[in-house]
Amino acid sequence: MKTLTTLICLLVLITSPVLALEEAYEFDDPSKQTLFIELTQELRCPQCQNQNIADSDAMIAHDLRRKVYELINQGKSRDEIVAFMKSRYGDFVSYKPPVTPLTIWLWLLPVIFVIAAAIFVFNQRKKQSNEFDEDVLAQADSLLEKEK
Amino acid sequence: MRKAYIFLIPLTLFVVLSVFLYKGLYGDPRQLDSTVLNKPAPDFSLPDLMQPDLTYDPQIFKGQVTLMNVWGVWCVTCAVELPYLTELSQQGVRIIGLYYDQDTDPDFGIKSIPTIQKEVTAKLAQLGNPYEFNIFDVKRDYSLDLGVTGAPETFLIDKQGIIRMHHIGDINTRVWRNKIAPLYNELMAQ
Repeated sequence: MKTLTTLICLLVLITSPVLALEEAYEFDDPSKQTLFIELTQELRCPQCQNQNIADSDAMIAHDLRRKVYELINQGKSRDEIVAFMKSRYGDFVSYKPPVTPLTIWLWLLPVIFVIAAAIFVFNQRKKQSNEFDEDVLAQADSLLEKEK
Repeated sequence: MRKAYIFLIPLTLFVVLSVFLYKGLYGDPRQLDSTVLNKPAPDFSLPDLMQPDLTYDPQIFKGQVTLMNVWGVWCVTCAVELPYLTELSQQGVRIIGLYYDQDTDPDFGIKSIPTIQKEVTAKLAQLGNPYEFNIFDVKRDYSLDLGVTGAPETFLIDKQGIIRMHHIGDINTRVWRNKIAPLYNELMAQ
């Protein structure tokens, strides 16, 4: 039973969506094949906006896949292909946001938040321990004295 | 004083977030910034849909203000806007078509050109023909260069062949009056 479950799990893992989408695109070079799979997953379909072009069945996604295939076979690099798409469909077409003065906050804000929170917590701690020391300790001591 | 300060921070965050999300409610995610705006129309050399021996290039835009309408007989919204476009062309607006067909998909074999021509002729006879002529974007390469995401889409091109507007969706009285006509008239006056 356990082996059967393991086997089923393995089968499910192997049938990834990438393998389902091979279409007619074959490459002579395995590295080009990898690049094709990476790019079609990173590029976003301009029509069905929550899908990448590997996933989408919209005509535009078909066209973009074919274009990626053509460009890869022309020997274009990854950056060149992404630039080609961006020059036509804007930054929108890539799921990786570019670093601009506006988008830099996506990375900066969480860091600023963590640092600010750390400083806040640290300050609170310090204040608390300072207040604690003198008065409360004396009080506790006197209580202990009485108990004796 | 200190207490007010502590309440103010979450309040500010809340207001900023609310404004951001509220804007998102009414924004149209399909209205993307076009990358071809204020640039010369990309180069192309494509055949006429009805007479494939004729080829066009960006010279066709020179000297006239042009509306280039991306369409196809398979597109429902295009059929809706055809009568209005025909009205516009009767008022003297120069409209040319950029035609592409879904079934000439290079992935799945090619539909014959006479079939497409027959479909187009029938559609235009039925709903009106606003087009001076139709450019046939055989492999949809030109649409890709223009950043077209679907149909219908319309480009307003000035007398120098520079793209001045990229409209996604149909053209109707409202869109024409509020969005396109002001710029069109300005370009005509140049």
